[in-house]
Amino acid sequence: MLVDYRIEHPVALHARFEVAGVTVLLGASGEGKSLLLRAIAGLLPARGEPFDGLPPQRRAVGYLPQGHALFPHLRAWENVAFALRGPRRREAAMAWLERVGMAALAERWPASLSGGQQQRVALARALARRPRLLLLDEPTSALDPATRDEVLAELIAEVHEAAIPTLAVSHDPALAAVADRLVLMHRRRIVQLGTPEEVHARPASGAVARLLGLRNVQRGRIVGAPGAQRLAWLQAETAVPVHTDLPDGTPVDWHIAPAAVRVHEPASAPEGAIAASFELRQTGAHGSYLGLRCGQARLWVEPPPGFELPAAPRLSLPPDAIRCWPIA
Amino acid sequence: MTSSPGPAPFRPRLSALPAALALLLLAVPFAGLLLATDWRHFGFAHGDGGAVRVSLGYSLLALVPIVALGTPLAWWLARYRVRGQWLVDALLLAALLTPPLAMGLLLAAVYGPYGPAGRLLERAGLLLTNSAPAFVLAQCYAALPYYVMAARTAFEGVPRELEQIALTLGLSPWRSFVQVSLPLARLGLAAAVALAWVRALGEFGAVLIVAYYPQGIPVKLWVNLQDFGLDAVYPLLWVFFLVALPLPLTLGMAVRRRLS
Repeated sequence: MLVDYRIEHPVALHARFEVAGVTVLLGASGEGKSLLLRAIAGLLPARGEPFDGLPPQRRAVGYLPQGHALFPHLRAWENVAFALRGPRRREAAMAWLERVGMAALAERWPASLSGGQQQRVALARALARRPRLLLLDEPTSALDPATRDEVLAELIAEVHEAAIPTLAVSHDPALAAVADRLVLMHRRRIVQLGTPEEVHARPASGAVARLLGLRNVQRGRIVGAPGAQRLAWLQAETAVPVHTDLPDGTPVDWHIAPAAVRVHEPASAPEGAIAASFELRQTGAHGSYLGLRCGQARLWVEPPPGFELPAAPRLSLPPDAIRCWPIA
Repeated sequence: MTSSPGPAPFRPRLSALPAALALLLLAVPFAGLLLATDWRHFGFAHGDGGAVRVSLGYSLLALVPIVALGTPLAWWLARYRVRGQWLVDALLLAALLTPPLAMGLLLAAVYGPYGPAGRLLERAGLLLTNSAPAFVLAQCYAALPYYVMAARTAFEGVPRELEQIALTLGLSPWRSFVQVSLPLARLGLAAAVALAWVRALGEFGAVLIVAYYPQGIPVKLWVNLQDFGLDAVYPLLWVFFLVALPLPLTLGMAVRRRLS
């Protein structure tokens, strides 16, 4: 489904992209992503397709705002039955709750449900309307971090099962990681489109890399002509060899994967290695990182298992592992 | 009386003292009434029964237009900001501020037999002086601004997002109002109805000017004082409390039960 909307107030915004499967519009806070969803739902004056000119009650959208917005005066099943008519609305609501695994809690009031449970009830309520398009506003924002990935997986599985085009807006890379398609927004413009694999393989800019949650996205400047270039990393007051075809003096965003950073003992460090000091260790379910201070900047390193950090580490950045994007 | 738990043990006592003092001050006139009533010769003046019927019946009747007209206005005020909003706010405040006697004079000037609206309505058979409609009219003017103010606050407490979600679920704005806004504002609206009732029932100044007849309790208290003295006032005052208190008391208790 093609989404093409133009908003004038409270911010000027134009977005045009295809929604297929679960499409995640990724952008920083304040980009107007939520406004776009509200515009599509008809809750904000705007022009565009689909549903142009229709009042909100005649737009077949399932809109899940942040915080889920369940009706606090209605039980879980009554929330789902809200959009249903007829004598069998309770049975229909129960069937929807069954589908999202919430039938056992049908009699509960929203306030007694967890964030994830509320989200599933809100999804059942939205699906019961039989929408042509699902709109999810920051669906991971109200979830408990400990269970977020599981709840998110459930949500995506249910949305896939419903087979309704879904547009989720978020600034959360974890949501982007489970999308079928990604739309990246920077400074109120669409800057890249594609599958998560395509976008991760070739982020269009440093801003996109930051949105994707990549570590080690830094600022720098190209010094020298192609073939004999160095990357001036001003925050670390150093320069490292780099291979690009950018002209001398180009300001860039650059990135190196934490696993590509080499750590050396001072005695065996290659010439030009960067002096660093240990700042913090971050160990989580998805791996372990070391935060090393280089001048005013922090560089993340993903050490191999069993790695012992030297007392005065030196870092080298393989030129081929550095990716540079000119700053517009 | 409860107070929020605090780290310092003397805090509850500190807040309890002024609270108790406030209650005491409120209770003083009623203790005076208890003492001043001549219980051995407790009796009613001629026409007291009629005044009770008039007050109760017409106050209930006045609640109908107050709620029917005040609720949409309160919702509109809670939901929309228009250019010149301050004029609407000023109008509401003026209606609240106007001394009741002055409001009665203004009503008489407009709706009375020589007033522009009064002449028109009289031609249509509606007499708005010393009549039941005049009585209800005066009560409406006394209570409507209070109802609108309280109901507006109640609607402002309803998250707008929930009304909008109702729209996205296919409900018309009217059904969204009935199924979401009204139920979620019901506690505040109940308080607003209670306030309107109290104001309508107790209104004296405006009613005195435009509807000396039919006499409700407040005017009859005045008449009793003039004609028979204080001993004829107190029994009717006791009845006034007896009939006026149950509605706001019940509504208030229901609200607090839901809130707790």
